[in-house]
Amino acid sequence: MESKLKSKVLQEFQQATSTLVNPALQSWKDQGGKVVGCYCSYVPEEVITAAGCVPFRIRGTGSTSTDLADTCLSSINCSFSRHSLDMALRGDYAFLDGATWVPTCDHVRRIYDHWRRRVDTPYLHLMALPKKVTDVQVQWYSEEVAMLRDSLAKHLGITISDAQLWDAIKLHNETRRLQKHLYELRKSDNPPITGAETLAVMVAGTAMPRSHYNQLLRQLLEELGSSNGHSDQRARILLIGGILDDPAYIEVIEEQGGLVVADSLCFGTRTMWELVDEQESDPVAALGRYYIQGRPQCPRMFGDQPKRSAFIKQMVKDFRVDGVISERLVMCDNWTGEQFMFAEDLKEAGIPYIRLDREYIMAGVGQLRTRVQAFLEMMGR
Amino acid sequence: MAIDKATRQQMMVKGLERYKQEREYFNFITNLLAADPNEEIQLSKEVTEITVARYDEIIRCAEEDKPFIGGYFCAAPEVYAAMDLPWYLIMQTPFLAASAPYLLEDVDAAEAMGLGTDWCTACRLSLYYIEAGLSPPPTCMIGLLHPCDAATMLHQAVVRNDKWRDIPMFCTDPPYLEDQRGIDYFAGELRRMVTFLEEHTDRKLDIDRLREIIIESNKQYELWLEYAQLRRAKPCPQGWGMGGGQCFAVSQIFQVGQPRGTEWFRKLVDITERKVKAKQGIIANERIRYFWFDLLPFGWVFEFMPWLEEEWGAVLVMDMFGYTPYEPVDTRNEDTMFKGLAKRNLYQSPMVRQARGIADYFASDIARVVKDYDIDCVIWPGHMGHKDGSASVGIMREICQQLKVPYIHIGLDLFDRRYTSPEECKDKIGKFFSAMGLG
Ligand code: SF4
Ligand code: SF4
Repeated sequence: MESKLKSKVLQEFQQATSTLVNPALQSWKDQGGKVVGCYCSYVPEEVITAAGCVPFRIRGTGSTSTDLADTCLSSINCSFSRHSLDMALRGDYAFLDGATWVPTCDHVRRIYDHWRRRVDTPYLHLMALPKKVTDVQVQWYSEEVAMLRDSLAKHLGITISDAQLWDAIKLHNETRRLQKHLYELRKSDNPPITGAETLAVMVAGTAMPRSHYNQLLRQLLEELGSSNGHSDQRARILLIGGILDDPAYIEVIEEQGGLVVADSLCFGTRTMWELVDEQESDPVAALGRYYIQGRPQCPRMFGDQPKRSAFIKQMVKDFRVDGVISERLVMCDNWTGEQFMFAEDLKEAGIPYIRLDREYIMAGVGQLRTRVQAFLEMMGR
Repeated sequence: MAIDKATRQQMMVKGLERYKQEREYFNFITNLLAADPNEEIQLSKEVTEITVARYDEIIRCAEEDKPFIGGYFCAAPEVYAAMDLPWYLIMQTPFLAASAPYLLEDVDAAEAMGLGTDWCTACRLSLYYIEAGLSPPPTCMIGLLHPCDAATMLHQAVVRNDKWRDIPMFCTDPPYLEDQRGIDYFAGELRRMVTFLEEHTDRKLDIDRLREIIIESNKQYELWLEYAQLRRAKPCPQGWGMGGGQCFAVSQIFQVGQPRGTEWFRKLVDITERKVKAKQGIIANERIRYFWFDLLPFGWVFEFMPWLEEEWGAVLVMDMFGYTPYEPVDTRNEDTMFKGLAKRNLYQSPMVRQARGIADYFASDIARVVKDYDIDCVIWPGHMGHKDGSASVGIMREICQQLKVPYIHIGLDLFDRRYTSPEECKDKIGKFFSAMGLG
């Protein structure tokens, strides 16, 4: 699908997505600003912002090999974990002033162990993310949020006040509102932006100083108001899956005529569809509740699958989706299970669905094309 | 919509078919072993006997419509014992020799069902058994969210299954780090598990009965520790055929807190002590003492483990299940008991202990075993399901280098011999032993 947008702002987002250190982040660093990496979207970035740092979602963008990481991990580990660790071992993450983890999955939780032993980053912090979503876990994770706040403040020699935390929450909520607005535009018959372009916008949001990003996004939304939409699609697609930060993957789907109009991705709706409750009395509790109960959850959370499934079905309805594509990184157990369950749920609901395996660095484009074409044909498109 | 009684009965009849076949297999093995007067064989016979007894108990409950549950060894089976709730592991079949005749067929059937081939075969099979109606549906279930992603997803898929979704499930949430906060939290999870069990069965937890069970299980763990010390002897009195696996099966599955289990441990210690005094090893000429840092390759164990002894004089001195530092649970009051159980079931249970938290935990285990058991080499089989372990190979290698002990990572499937064939594994190990000048 041809891009219709000739937007400078979009180009800035796309550039930020295709590299690690984008110009805006570089200029933040040049002014003495600090950047703290997050290995997973469950790290409460608001705390990092409140500490006066830029949260940066760790990726493997630009990696071409896993030679160094292969001395730590093995071939049955997912390619995201291998590429991102490889980059760290090569020094590509030397720009980070800190890095934070949750034990997302069996692969990423060990990256923490390797990083701690092999990479020289001034500040490291691991949060114990629970695997259930009841009030007890909200309480536990709120304590974890408080511990991150204390530990980061101690490391930086500052205090992080409640007021600063609220300011950060409001700033991040603003991002979420703007991003959701962008998604709302895609509900139309002729969405003004493609799925690939949207992913670039979303990824850029995890790599730039937040106020600057919000300002750019506002500008983009204004531009989109006057742009022509896409009407040449064969089908409207909902894309779901784990870590996907490469717009080129979606481009291949869209080249076949499947316009991605919505998603459930961790560089997508899962991080912004809902807001942190600004009416709570305690910002730490508000964050604890948001991350464990408030936002759409990842497969690793027990007790939440019916909700996740309902979320997908609601998106299908709201975005008038013709079919659902689910992508999974080879070796990812969390998404194997999730794909299996979704297959059953969507079959029951009569929604066309296809599961695709992929590697973190784009490969097998021909096969992807063929599978997508077959899927579109199967839907009679 | 809740399933009706007739459907449940049909599910039960079908689910019991395979279950009864497995029982018959263990009956057969028990009779076979009974004919051999060797003391150690008799110990093994007792293990198969108590296995049959558990099968009988579950079958009886199922047929008489009495409560029985799905449970796990690292989710305080002491509680199930105290509540007099018979339980079975929904994941047990792939781990039992009884599954051998149909294991590979089942693996293929699981694949045909759409369960990804890179997902732990034990989980794939367990889900397949449930989807295909080959497991007896329990009254309610305790699921598992550790040590691996695969287990977490398996239990979610079980809850989602259209027939099993009416069977209530509770999972204890495992804290990631080992500290007092984690113990307190997990103790709370165990208490919530008790509430759940009381709600969904007709049983109540009697704290005095729990104390009795724990006191008895404390004795079992003390004896297990004594036995583990005996295995330090050179030559090692037992190999892969007797040790961690059986101790685990007795103390954490089939005889939790039962005097019969304690008696089994006493006999084990007694027999082993005599062997040590007589300097009698499991093989005549022990040349390599290896640490097998995982589960045994259940799907093809007889094709591989004896070969190590016969061909190389290599003795499995310790495995992942055999030497975790159990502490007695303090039975003074309810609070100390739950906290003690939290610690035991989370930080001391095999596999969950090594695979759950940060790498330091398993790293210290490797160092401890290598030193205490005078290990000549560490073998990390690298089961295809153990993604966290495979993500740790660099750390394992580093630790072994520091300890100056050779290390090998094979890369296999504990259940499916087609993943890496026993021949390939033998070849890899043989070359490793030769290159390291072992044997
Ligand atoms: S893709 Fe799956 S295995 Fe890889 S980091 Fe994400 S959750 Fe973990
Ligand atoms: S990966 Fe290991 S711990 Fe997890 S289910 Fe499979 S055998 Fe068990």
